[in-house]
Amino acid sequence: MVHVEIKAEELFSIGPLIVTNSMVGAVLASVVLLLIARWFTRRSGIVPSRGQSAIELPIEFLAGVVRGTGGKRWRQFAPLILGIFLFVLTANWLSLLPGVGTIGFAEEVEGKQIIVPFVRAGAADLNFTLGLALISFVTFIAFGLRANGVRGYLKELLIAEPAYMTPLLTPIHLISELSRVISLSMRLFGNVFAGEVLLATMLALTTATVFILPLAFVIPGVFIGLELLFGLVQALVFALLTMTYITLAIAEHREHESADDHSGEAPETGTAPAHGAA
Amino acid sequence: MDLHQLAAGLAMGLGGIGPGIGLGIGFSKAMEAIGRNPEASGTIFVPYILGLALTEAIGIYALVVSLIILFAS
Repeated sequence: MVHVEIKAEELFSIGPLIVTNSMVGAVLASVVLLLIARWFTRRSGIVPSRGQSAIELPIEFLAGVVRGTGGKRWRQFAPLILGIFLFVLTANWLSLLPGVGTIGFAEEVEGKQIIVPFVRAGAADLNFTLGLALISFVTFIAFGLRANGVRGYLKELLIAEPAYMTPLLTPIHLISELSRVISLSMRLFGNVFAGEVLLATMLALTTATVFILPLAFVIPGVFIGLELLFGLVQALVFALLTMTYITLAIAEHREHESADDHSGEAPETGTAPAHGAA
Repeated sequence: MDLHQLAAGLAMGLGGIGPGIGLGIGFSKAMEAIGRNPEASGTIFVPYILGLALTEAIGIYALVVSLIILFAS
């Protein structure tokens, strides 16, 4: 009924570098972002035009969130969070354009005629999401190292609070750090890939009955609207989780040196008593 | 019709129970909190979205597993 390929298909190769159709999607997303950025930084004014406000709206919203929850050093990682958000959002929404995933080479595999599309959603390939998750992983470890120092960080990671619990808690700590990468990448990949399969399935189901009920013109449209929402939410979730991990890595440090000034740190007050009790 | 399809259906169906209950609890608590204190809806939003994402991840794992069973084995 529906042909589904979990791996991104190979289009051509430049020497040892294999170019897949998901890579084309991801590069397209970044090109679109760069063009928008160039266009709007050239002609931006103090009084924003309508298009400029539309571009500034998500940036202002997310920068507000990062400023509200990111603590004192929010300026250092706000560009990364914004970049991840805009990149994932653009990649997700580009994949809903007509032609993406439908126009491509015709190929014959195992006696069946299939289409190898030229462009596929960037995040519908685990390599894309795993790459982003690794960027996030390296960043929050680097922030933790810089805030705590190498010794402080290793102590935080390897030695539990009552020392006799160390052999039990240290593996759990290590696994939970690593599982962040897996859950970040799997969540984005699973959502986007399932969205593609969902759209293809809905289209196939409704076109099969199009002569009885003309639902094929309505139902896939509803699901495309749903996918617009999911693309936004997943981009937001990826960016916000990265921000949370970075904030946690920095906040562990502030715990023991600033026990006296609880005044200006509204997001910290919730976690401080819990740490004290543990 | 072979056992792969049954396995994929079971993986997704059983794997959807837990996240479904969890998402329902989280959503109802968030709505309750907003109902009690409507001004706090801005502060509730971000932790709420994060909680939903973490809960939903379990369902996504089931989905990925069942897709792998269906298409990659």
